[in-house]
Amino acid sequence: MRRIFLFFASVIFLVYVLAPVAWLLSSSFQGEAEITSRPPHWIPQQPTLENFEAIFQAREKKVTYETRRAGDPATGGYIPSTARDLLPSMWNSLVVAVSVVLLNLLVGVPAAYAMAKIRFIGRSTSIYFMLTTRVIPDIALVVPFFLFIRTFGLLDHLGSLVITYLAITVPFSIFILVSYFESLPDELDKAARVDGCSRLQTLTRVYVPLAMPALVAVVLFTFLSSWNEFLLALMFTQTPASQTMPIVVASFASDFTISFAFINAAGVLAVIPPVLMAVIFERYIVSGLTAGAVKG
Amino acid sequence: MATIRFESVGKTYPNGFAALENLSLEIADREFVVLLGPSGCGKSTTLNLIAGLEDVTAGSLYFDATLMNVVPAHKRDVAMVFQSYALYPHKSVYENIAFGLRMRGFEKNEIEKRVRGAARSLEIEPLLERRPHQLSGGQRQRVALGRALVRQPQAFLMDEPLSNLDAALRIAMRAEIKKLHHTMRTTFVYVTHDQAEALTLADRIVVMKEGVIQQIGTPEEIYDRPKNTFVASFLGNPPINYLEGTLSQDGRRFVRGAISLPLPIALPVQAGRPVRLGIRAEDVDPKGTGEQLGGRITSVLPVGSDQFLGVEVEGAALFFRVGREVRVHEGENISLPVNANRLQVFDPASGASLLWQ
Repeated sequence: MRRIFLFFASVIFLVYVLAPVAWLLSSSFQGEAEITSRPPHWIPQQPTLENFEAIFQAREKKVTYETRRAGDPATGGYIPSTARDLLPSMWNSLVVAVSVVLLNLLVGVPAAYAMAKIRFIGRSTSIYFMLTTRVIPDIALVVPFFLFIRTFGLLDHLGSLVITYLAITVPFSIFILVSYFESLPDELDKAARVDGCSRLQTLTRVYVPLAMPALVAVVLFTFLSSWNEFLLALMFTQTPASQTMPIVVASFASDFTISFAFINAAGVLAVIPPVLMAVIFERYIVSGLTAGAVKG
Repeated sequence: MATIRFESVGKTYPNGFAALENLSLEIADREFVVLLGPSGCGKSTTLNLIAGLEDVTAGSLYFDATLMNVVPAHKRDVAMVFQSYALYPHKSVYENIAFGLRMRGFEKNEIEKRVRGAARSLEIEPLLERRPHQLSGGQRQRVALGRALVRQPQAFLMDEPLSNLDAALRIAMRAEIKKLHHTMRTTFVYVTHDQAEALTLADRIVVMKEGVIQQIGTPEEIYDRPKNTFVASFLGNPPINYLEGTLSQDGRRFVRGAISLPLPIALPVQAGRPVRLGIRAEDVDPKGTGEQLGGRITSVLPVGSDQFLGVEVEGAALFFRVGREVRVHEGENISLPVNANRLQVFDPASGASLLWQ
C-alpha cells in the first residue's frame, strides 16, 4: 500500500518536473500554426525541422518585412529579428562558462586545500568570510560591479562577465571543496609529504584524484551558474559582440511578434550543453552534490 | 641512518597551546626508541617534528650535524607509518609502495625491484594489484610498512602503527617490527601508549607527559627504577600499588600503622618524613620468605595463567598478581611476603622517586 502510494507520488512529481521539458522538446519540432493549436499536441503531427533550420540559417538571411511576407521558414513567419544573434551568443556563453569553470578550479582547488589542511592564522576567519559573501543577493552587487566594470573599460566585453561570475561562484566552489577535503583524512596529507611530495604535489597527486566527485560538483555548478546567468549579463553586455544566450533568448520575447516554436527550439539548444555534461559526469553527480553534507 | 638530536625543542600552536616544552633528546643511529605516554602527551607531535610535518617553534632539531628546523617534509629522508595506515585509496598496492620512490625520481627497474623485494619480505606479493579497500586490516598494515621500508630511509617513524589491529595480530606484528629493525639497520622512532609494545620493542623508552619528558631509559630502567609516580604508574599490569606512610627513625623502613617494611636502601632523609611506598602487583610471593604484608582479601579475579587479588591493607585497597595455585577466598585474611628489594619510595607531594634520581 505504502509502496503504491510512493510510486504514484513519484510519478506525479516526475510529470510535474518533466512535462515542461517534454513540451519544450515537442514544440520545437512543430510549426508555428501547430504550436498554437488547441488542444496542444504532445506529439507533433507534422514534425518539422524548420525552427532549427531558421536558427542555423539566420546568419545568412536578414529578417525584413518582405521576407516575413514571403513566408520563408528561415526568415519569415514569426522569426524574431534578433534570431541571427542566437548562435554567436551561445558561443559567448560557452566561452564565458568554460573560462569561469577553469578559473574556478585554478583558484578554488588550491585555496580549498590550504584552508582544509594547512593550519595558518586566519584560516577559519577566511572560510567564514567567504561564506558570508554568499548571503549577499546579486542584485545588491549590481551597481558596485557596474562601476567597477565601467572603470576598467570592460563594458560590453566578455571579460566583465568572467570577472563578476568568478566573484559569485568562487566562494561556493571553495566551500564545496573545503568540506570534501576536510572529509579526507589528514594522515593522507602527511603520508604524501613524507613520501616526498611538496604541498602542490600532494594536492595534484593525492587530493585531486580523490576529490573527483566534489570537483565534478564544482564544474557543474559553476558551468550552470554562468550558462544561466541573466541579471549581470543584462547589465554589462550591450551588443551581440558580448551578449550571452539568456539575453538573446529573452529578446525573442520582446520582438514585435513572438514565435513560440522558434523560442522553444532555441531553448532545446540551450539545454544541450548542461545535459551533455550531466551525462558525462553522471556517476559522480550524486556523491558530489552531497559532499560536505555531513561535515561543514 | 642518522642520529636525531633535539636541543631544547618547543612546539607551541598558534592558539597558544604548548605541545612540547624544552625537549632535549638524542636518538642514536640504529637505535629503537619508543615514545610512550597517554594521549596528548606530545609524543605524536615529537614524531611529526622529526618528519617535518609540523614546525619547531623553539630550539633546534638536528639529523647528525644538519640543522633540520626549516627543511620541509619532502626533503627529509624519513619514512612514516600511521595508525590509520593512510594508504592512497585510488592507487593499487604496488603504486602505494612505489609512490615514495617515484617522487624521489628512482629508475623504473629499481622501483620494480624494490617493490617486489619489499612485498616478498612482507608476504604481500599476491596483493600487489589490489586496491587498499580490498585488504584486511593486517594486510593494510603490511602495505604501510612496505611503503616505508622500500625507501630505506634515514629514520623510520611509526605513529601507533598497531593500534587498529586486533590483539592477536598486534602481538604477531610486534615480532615482525622487531625483526624489521634488525634487518633494516636504521633508526626507529615508535610512538605508542601501549606499555607492552614499548617494553617489547624498545632499546630505550622515553616516557612523556604533558609535553615534558619524564624519564629516558632502557625498558628495565624504566620498569625497575621509575623516577616518579607517573612513570611507575604508567607501566605495569595491574598498575603499581601505593601506600602512604612515614619513614622510620633510621630511614631504613616504611611504617604505616601496624605495617613495617624494609626499604631497598636506607634513605638519608629525616625520620618521620611522609613517603609514598610503591609495590608492584607482582612483587609479592605467597611462597616466599620476605617480610609480610597482612590484609583481608576483598576480591579474587582469575585471569587464566594468574589471578589478581584485591587486598585491603591498613585501610588501603591494593591489587596483587599471584600464581593460580594459591587457594584463597574473598573475606579471608592473608599474609603476603613482599619482595622488599623491589619496593619503590616516592615523595608524596612531588611524586619524585626518593630512590632513583
